[in-house]
Amino acid sequence: MIRVAGLALLVLLAACHPRAPEGARELVIGTEGLYPPWNFTRADGRLDGFEPDYMRDLCARLHRRCRMVAMDWDGMVGALQTGKIDLIADAVQITPERAAVLWFSRPYALTTGVIATLRDSPLAGLPDRGAMMDFDRHGPDLDARIGRLRKGLSGKVVGVELSGAFDNFLNQSIGSHVTIRYYRTMGERDLDLLNGRIDATLEDESYIRPLLATRDGAALALAGPRMIGGSMGRGEALAFRPGDTALHDAFDGAIAATLADGTVRRLGLKWFRMDATPPGAGKVR
Amino acid sequence: MDFLGTTSLGLLRAVPVTVLLFLASALGASLVAAVLVAMQQARVTQGLARAWIFVFRGTPLLLQIFMVYYGIAALGPIRHGFLWPAFREPLFCAWLAMTCCCSAYIAEVLRGALGAIPVGQIEAALACGMGRWTRLRLIVAPQVLRLALPAYGNELVMMIKSTSLASSITVLDVTGVAQQVIAHSYRTLDVFCLAAAVYLGMTAALTAVLRRIERSLDPLGSARR
Amino acid sequence: MDAELSVPALLGFGADGWGWALMAAAGLTLAVALAAMAIGAVLGAALAAAEASRRVWLVRIAATYGLVMRGVPELLVVLLLYFGAPGMLAGVAGLFGLPAPGSPPAFLTGSLAIGLVSAAYQAEVFRGGMLALPRGQIEAAMAAGMGPVVRLRRVILPQVLHHVLPPLGNIWQFNLKDSALVSITGLAELMRVSLVAAGSTRRPFVFFAAAMVLYLILTSASSALFRMIERRGSRWAGGR
Repeated sequence: MIRVAGLALLVLLAACHPRAPEGARELVIGTEGLYPPWNFTRADGRLDGFEPDYMRDLCARLHRRCRMVAMDWDGMVGALQTGKIDLIADAVQITPERAAVLWFSRPYALTTGVIATLRDSPLAGLPDRGAMMDFDRHGPDLDARIGRLRKGLSGKVVGVELSGAFDNFLNQSIGSHVTIRYYRTMGERDLDLLNGRIDATLEDESYIRPLLATRDGAALALAGPRMIGGSMGRGEALAFRPGDTALHDAFDGAIAATLADGTVRRLGLKWFRMDATPPGAGKVR
Repeated sequence: MDFLGTTSLGLLRAVPVTVLLFLASALGASLVAAVLVAMQQARVTQGLARAWIFVFRGTPLLLQIFMVYYGIAALGPIRHGFLWPAFREPLFCAWLAMTCCCSAYIAEVLRGALGAIPVGQIEAALACGMGRWTRLRLIVAPQVLRLALPAYGNELVMMIKSTSLASSITVLDVTGVAQQVIAHSYRTLDVFCLAAAVYLGMTAALTAVLRRIERSLDPLGSARR
Repeated sequence: MDAELSVPALLGFGADGWGWALMAAAGLTLAVALAAMAIGAVLGAALAAAEASRRVWLVRIAATYGLVMRGVPELLVVLLLYFGAPGMLAGVAGLFGLPAPGSPPAFLTGSLAIGLVSAAYQAEVFRGGMLALPRGQIEAAMAAGMGPVVRLRRVILPQVLHHVLPPLGNIWQFNLKDSALVSITGLAELMRVSLVAAGSTRRPFVFFAAAMVLYLILTSASSALFRMIERRGSRWAGGR
């Protein structure tokens, strides 16, 4: 009798307990841990930055346990395809080439490329200050702006990270008008920008704005136009295996919630000192 | 075919940078090495020379290059001093690091050669009443040059290879160009083979020159084992 | 959050201190050098054996390998393996119908690259060691009925070690220093960690100086160790 009652109680409790969703195993998220302030590795080995914070929030909303692991970008797509990781959260910009192999969520951030120089540099007066150059919208307006940029940077030394998005952009759009210096890490490029060896750099504003707020970075300033589209992509998003509908749609919903309630805005101000919320319907501000 | 052609041209166009860096470093390092060996003869300066050799032989050249380019260039007196126009240039920093580093290795080579001169010759020279400079000119120097040449030649060959490290501080030498092409094209093996061929050509040329000099200094082969 | 940190705080073991990271990095440097030395020893012995063999094609291959690997900058070899390994592995996997494995761990590509170069130099050392041993001794040992293991232990090694140890010590030092080139792969060894620290704290002098000190500890400890081994080894060879 007692045994039957005990069993019934257990069944009742099990029914009342908030059931964990299908596939309640831990989600493994891939990141590099080398791209501050989006994700980086602290001196003690912990992953920190916008994405670790943001993924913690998203996973909490989905009631899923998540674990972030650091790996090189080269191996990440392969790891996603073979199931070693479930999704990628690594400030991945939405580009057509990437969309061919990855299934992107809706963008959770939109940042532009900017030009940074020393405050007292002659390049500080580059034309089209703050104007948005959209490389997906071809036309005479864009061509005119590119022409002015080429003229303004002519003969100068621009430093970029080797084989990054801005490296490709400089080589394709500005080409031989500038001397390009390649750096293997962003830290080296920053040092040479601050000591004047390079006249300017092209970088994502999410990296530059926090740099401007540091003691050393106060000597720097933004110059010229802002850039988006083309090889620089259009917003950052999570990347899933093509066909992983359940996970993709779940995260899409969670991202929408964080955009609506200001979470993205809050985290953006914390990590980038700017609001990186993508404008409604993906239109560029 | 077109890719290989353009890449080869690009690499060959970077050869003068490599050769310039090599020659300038070889000259600088040899001069400093001679100074170091001289310093080792006097008790007062011995310690400093030994410390220099210890530091520059005990740390990687790549680290020394970074130290000069980023570390020393960040120091106030350099950054805001009259030496900045020099330190601003990556090639100068690479040259400085290579000169300091290789001078330590060459100094050891010279020291070994000095020690290989038969003591009897020195004693005979003293007995003849030769002064220090005469001894150096007639007995020591000719033999040191002959004895040191094989090992010195080895060091020179290593120096040509070491110039490739300058690519780490944005110098567009042969390796710098190669790395840039690889990063943009991903045709790693092709570019590696072309760049390797260029370096092998340079080291082969250097080795040939050194063998010529060796033979002219020592036609009878008495220095060989 | 952006206060100017003092040198002890930067290098120390506190929250913002890079002390532990640098120590771990020095350990990784040692590991890379050891792995490279091992790879170089195995491959170098094989190359020396190939060059001593009677088959002309083997001799040619070994000689060419040595010529190329001694004449090409080590940095290029590291670049070859770092950028080229994923593609090469994908090609090999494709032959077997397997999916592309992605890029191998940086430790592997790095130590393999240094090991491949080290093998060329170690082969020369082993060749010299083999030449230094009179053939007659081996024949006498065989006539005395010694098995191959005993022969190795009693006759070959004591004499060959004496010739081989000093240049191997040299090669070990080069492996230690060349491990700095592995920093390109992103592996968190000493060169890389000091570079990342220098860049993110914008205090290059402090961190490069600290790295130099750590490398000096590694290289001088190594030379002291080798000197000790050489002294013990020369006892077998009857001293000099």
